Amino acid sequence: MTCLTIYDVAVLGGGPAGMAAAAEAARRGARTVLLDENTRPGGQVYRAAPHGFRMPADPDRRAGEALRAELARSGAEVRTEHCVWGLGGGPLVPEGSPPEPFRIDALHAGATVTLAARALILCAGAQERIIPFPGWTLPGVIGLAAATILLKAQGVLPGRRVVVAGAGPLLYALAAKLLAGGAEVAAVADLATRVDWASTLPQLLLRPGLLARGLGWRAELLRRGVPVLGAHTAVRAEGGDVLERVWLAPLYGVRERAIACDALCIGHGLAPATEATRLLRAEHRYDRAAGGWVPVLDSDQRTSVPLLYVAGDGGGVRGAAAAPASGRLAALAALRDLGRLSARAHAIARWRARAERWRAAQAGAAMARLMSPPPSLAAVIPPETVICRCEGVTAAEIEAALADGATDVNQLKHFTRCGMGPCQGRLCGEAAAELVARRLGGREAAGVATGRLPLRPVPVDALLGTFDYADIPVPPPAPI
Amino acid sequence: MSASLRVGGIGRPADVEFTWQGRVLRAPAGESLAAALLAAGVRRLGEGPGAPRAAFCMMGTCQQCLLRVDGALAQACLVPVRAGLRAEPA
Amino acid sequence: MFDAAVIGAGVMGCSTALHLARGGMRVALLDRGAICREASGVNAGTLTMQMTRAALIPYALRAYEMWLRMPEWSDGGTVLAAACPGLSLAFTEAEAAMLEERARLRRAAGAPIELVSGRQARAIEPGLTDRVRLAAHCPVDGFASAYLTGRAFRPALLAAGVALFEKRPVFGIDREAGGFVLRTGSGPLTAHRIVLAGGAWLEPMAAWLGVRLPIRVLVNQLVVTERMPPVLRTVLGVASGLLSLKQYANGTVLIGGGWQGIGDRARGGLAVRAENFAGNIRLAAYALPALRAARVVRAWLGLEAETADALPAIGPIPGVEHAWIIGSVHSGYTSGPYFGKLLAQAILGAEPELPLFPIDRLLAREAA
Repeated sequence: MTCLTIYDVAVLGGGPAGMAAAAEAARRGARTVLLDENTRPGGQVYRAAPHGFRMPADPDRRAGEALRAELARSGAEVRTEHCVWGLGGGPLVPEGSPPEPFRIDALHAGATVTLAARALILCAGAQERIIPFPGWTLPGVIGLAAATILLKAQGVLPGRRVVVAGAGPLLYALAAKLLAGGAEVAAVADLATRVDWASTLPQLLLRPGLLARGLGWRAELLRRGVPVLGAHTAVRAEGGDVLERVWLAPLYGVRERAIACDALCIGHGLAPATEATRLLRAEHRYDRAAGGWVPVLDSDQRTSVPLLYVAGDGGGVRGAAAAPASGRLAALAALRDLGRLSARAHAIARWRARAERWRAAQAGAAMARLMSPPPSLAAVIPPETVICRCEGVTAAEIEAALADGATDVNQLKHFTRCGMGPCQGRLCGEAAAELVARRLGGREAAGVATGRLPLRPVPVDALLGTFDYADIPVPPPAPI
Repeated sequence: MSASLRVGGIGRPADVEFTWQGRVLRAPAGESLAAALLAAGVRRLGEGPGAPRAAFCMMGTCQQCLLRVDGALAQACLVPVRAGLRAEPA
Repeated sequence: MFDAAVIGAGVMGCSTALHLARGGMRVALLDRGAICREASGVNAGTLTMQMTRAALIPYALRAYEMWLRMPEWSDGGTVLAAACPGLSLAFTEAEAAMLEERARLRRAAGAPIELVSGRQARAIEPGLTDRVRLAAHCPVDGFASAYLTGRAFRPALLAAGVALFEKRPVFGIDREAGGFVLRTGSGPLTAHRIVLAGGAWLEPMAAWLGVRLPIRVLVNQLVVTERMPPVLRTVLGVASGLLSLKQYANGTVLIGGGWQGIGDRARGGLAVRAENFAGNIRLAAYALPALRAARVVRAWLGLEAETADALPAIGPIPGVEHAWIIGSVHSGYTSGPYFGKLLAQAILGAEPELPLFPIDRLLAREAA
């Protein structure tokens, strides 16, 4: 490996967890690099607006700017527009070899950049889950978090007359923001019931600011006469070329109602992004309330792989407010494990971060529980519904593969090609796993996809570099 | 479209021109191509096997906004609009 | 008690079990994982004479026909095998010399391979780089979708009455009067005869019977693009063996060539090496420049088994009556179904159509 420097700490992902982790590590003297694929750090919740845009202030924007400023002051090297596609080293070494520093391969400016680091903090966050339903692929149907990004980071409405569906605080935050932006919100369909929401009150009381904002969003919807339907979901989207109407129905009933609209913003919770932790062969466990498969972490954010840490929603959905504290804890643990922080200094420094993480995570965990989709959503997918958009695999084809003996999600991939397309299973993986789980008796039995590089599609062009045929080592000729 | 999908009260750079399938469109420089196309009324970005292509996740993971931008494959939600940009279905 | 237990449900084990069952035996087929999930399900799917050792060409030619006709003998099962010409490319003088020699030997063994110039090669395959000095052209070539192999065999096996035990690891074999007792993950299984068909795991399997058979494990990397417009109509290889290329009907291009990843028998395929991933792709784009417009979306690993002389291990196990072995065929996917058929003939008591590859030559001597 011909890299020039070995960083002490590399942080992958510049969301709130990553920014805090990198800032903490750099501030304490570690040679630190943060990589993010976007133009500026921020992740999803604190996604920076494009250069030259002036957005109205709001609490999220202020929190994001504060973290960006902290990062900028810390001395961490920040490499934006770096899309990490490959990871190696660490435990991924030949039998009998000692562990190596982590190797990171990233796309940048149309070419590949390779870095090395002794410790690796993964802050890949989470991505939206969608359980398909008829018409979900119509243009006009976008994710719930997606609509939030579109509105907050780009200042663009998804449509003029919008239906919002899903669960969690994002539902109400988005609906209120859509109204403020001049759209009509035709209906809000919340998977959760009032009882579900009420059960989160103890945790929400730890976050009075969030609670107040949430009540404010609901009050605005009430004021503007937006129908809010509890325990409802979108069962069908219809239209010609683009979305024209959505049918909403109660989860535990039959009465459907049609709502004319040109945009449906729908999501069924967030799933932690574990491609990198799986690639590095960290241990995982299934925790539905935390969003699904998560890496096994100790109380200091360590994974089962030495010098590999996870912070933020990638370790289990706990929300943006808990992310910085978990990032700091990961950085502290990394520095301790690298021998750059004494046990005593570590114990002192982590105390406060742990308290902050605990407090923020209570509400975050409660919200994550709310966002976890009921298994019934996967149970009612009509056979002709496309599950894997990249490969055009329907629910019927998945059921046929299961009937033909596919026994886990990896074998399902072999039988149907579901997950073999460029999204690498990010869009279809959760839904496919739910279908497999129904047959096999649970998500643990359904298993989890094998992690491999590339972590993102890599343009062949970006790998070419200066290629000389003579550089390829000539192997000994195979026997004839 | 009678009213813009762009939210008011936001300071934006000046518009630039770009093309979608040869058609000239305008958007503030730096706006994501996915957002710019949406604001211009373009939602259907191509055909996938079994389903149309349209921007879904807005964060670069679903690959449904894949386009050819100035000849190279790119995800529209990750590409900032600049003057003279040429976009086509993938 | 089963008439035969086949341990390892890759293409060799599946074909052997299928033909034994059709020959009237009561057969158990076991695998610690799912059917055809190791080498047989993850290889590059190349059905070629141009990577096949001269001595194996007669077998490969017959197996090639079997793959193309799989629905006929496998109750409709298919790996979507497609026939097309194959080109093996030489970019340097040394490679050209090697290509000439090998083409001659393979032609003598029955493969219809002819040498063509770089210009002629480009007429056959317009997308080729103009750096080709010489090429070996074989009209009898093709490819399959290896990941379909398990699903293709399964219904035929079940219809033939094979008792398929997936996710049933075997830990050892005891010999009792009348047969063998397999110690498995869910209780013992007995059979009069056993067939070891464990690919890269044949070495530890043979050890269960007290037989020392060294098997080298190769950790091959494979890479595939997303769907792209048609850029390739033949199967491409290079004389050095370091590249294989094919484009499927769905537009994806599969890149192989035996670039090594990290892994071993105990841990399986552990990790793709980024530098070998990039190197393999660079070579592919060198040979087929149109690939530069594509994106690579997946890479994976497969464990390939190789004996000391790189020839198959197929035949009876010396010193252990009623025990047989099949596997370790370099580029074995091409010939797999036919080797299984041959071994089944021998086990059923007939003279196999073509000679097997007895393993006496491979057994390690005990230390003096």
